[in-house]
Amino acid sequence: MAANKTNKALDGFGRYAGPATLILASLAGEARHGYALIKDIESFAGVRIAPGTLYEALARLQAQGLIEPVESQDRRRPYRLTAAGATTLQAQLDAQRRVADVGLRRLAQGWGPA
Amino acid sequence: MSGPRERAARLVRWYPRDWRARYGEEFTELLIADLAERPRSPARTADVIRGGIVARLTDAGLCGFAPDGAERAGKRARASLASLAWCAAVFLGFGGAIWSQLAIGWQWSAPDAAAAIATVVMSGAMLVLAVLALLAALPVARAVAARIARGRTRDLFGPSARFLAGLTVMVVGGRHFGNGWPGTGGHPWTRPGPVPGGVAAFSWASTLSVSSFWAHPAALAAFPAAELTWMALSPVALACLVTGAAAVVRRTELSPAALRFETRLARAACLAMAVFLGAGCVWIADRAPRPGSLFHPGVIDVAGLAVMALALATGWQAARQAAR
Repeated sequence: MAANKTNKALDGFGRYAGPATLILASLAGEARHGYALIKDIESFAGVRIAPGTLYEALARLQAQGLIEPVESQDRRRPYRLTAAGATTLQAQLDAQRRVADVGLRRLAQGWGPA
Repeated sequence: MSGPRERAARLVRWYPRDWRARYGEEFTELLIADLAERPRSPARTADVIRGGIVARLTDAGLCGFAPDGAERAGKRARASLASLAWCAAVFLGFGGAIWSQLAIGWQWSAPDAAAAIATVVMSGAMLVLAVLALLAALPVARAVAARIARGRTRDLFGPSARFLAGLTVMVVGGRHFGNGWPGTGGHPWTRPGPVPGGVAAFSWASTLSVSSFWAHPAALAAFPAAELTWMALSPVALACLVTGAAAVVRRTELSPAALRFETRLARAACLAMAVFLGAGCVWIADRAPRPGSLFHPGVIDVAGLAVMALALATGWQAARQAAR
């Protein structure tokens, strides 16, 4: 039930749900500013999020309380994960893992090496 | 050739002012870093422009997810209602032009069934819209009065002045030019129609700028200078009126109960506009192949209905967002 409840946090993200998950995953490591997020996501997911899309997702994540800005003297403001964000990311990744497990199992059964 | 900072600053201008105040500095830094790595990227430019448009639509309360917190939700709902006011003004600008020509035509010759039905239905919808506008103004007027009583009026002064100036010009000009044409003011030769002559004349004069004469400069040049001036001035006055009213709505905090009331009125207004539009379509569909009477629709009427349909669709989206 908890997973279902937290999954709803990304329900309203629409086309930004994918970028939002990648951002949360990146911030699970450490607080990062916009450009560092783009580079980190590119390194672990092979996807380069465009600046406009990144900030649309960041604004939504912040409005939902899943991330928060970190005080900084720099013009490049870093963001960090909140507790709610960590719970949401956990639920999101659990759901994705379930899909991956089922897909891999079925592939192994029907398409695996003879 | 401009440097990365200038290019980034130009791109950031696609976003609305509030968004720039919150994210502008850090977004500019991100763009500068991205420009240094990839100096030419049409995809990035397109993405930023798309993001800016989405941010502007969100700022106008026309899209975006449901905000959390009562204060943010109230702000978003007021933005949506202000956008609906804009849509209603555009709708009524074009709709008033169609309605007044039908109402005035009725005073000179008997309409056929389709024109008669369209005129009566449009008149009913207009009446409903007028009542809804008055009802919608009440909670806002009350909230503004409360702010005046508390002495917090600084940010309301400009919009209120714009609204009053626009309203004054529209009322004075509409009455002046409406009464200047004998066919609209209850002339002894005219026959009684469902719409009082003075009301039809005022609507005709207020929407005089919605005219196919703009496409015929030679004919337009024969118009009296005062009328030409009014045709150019009245849309500006209407824009002042609506921008002033919309800004007052956006800046005036309304209670949750008042917002719910306004949202219901917004839906009802959309319904009334849909009925009005449907009646206009009936008139156009019935009369289009047969020119030659006072009730013959022209290209300007078809174009007007298309604009009204777009305004209604946008207004409906605003009403939906206000209710979230």
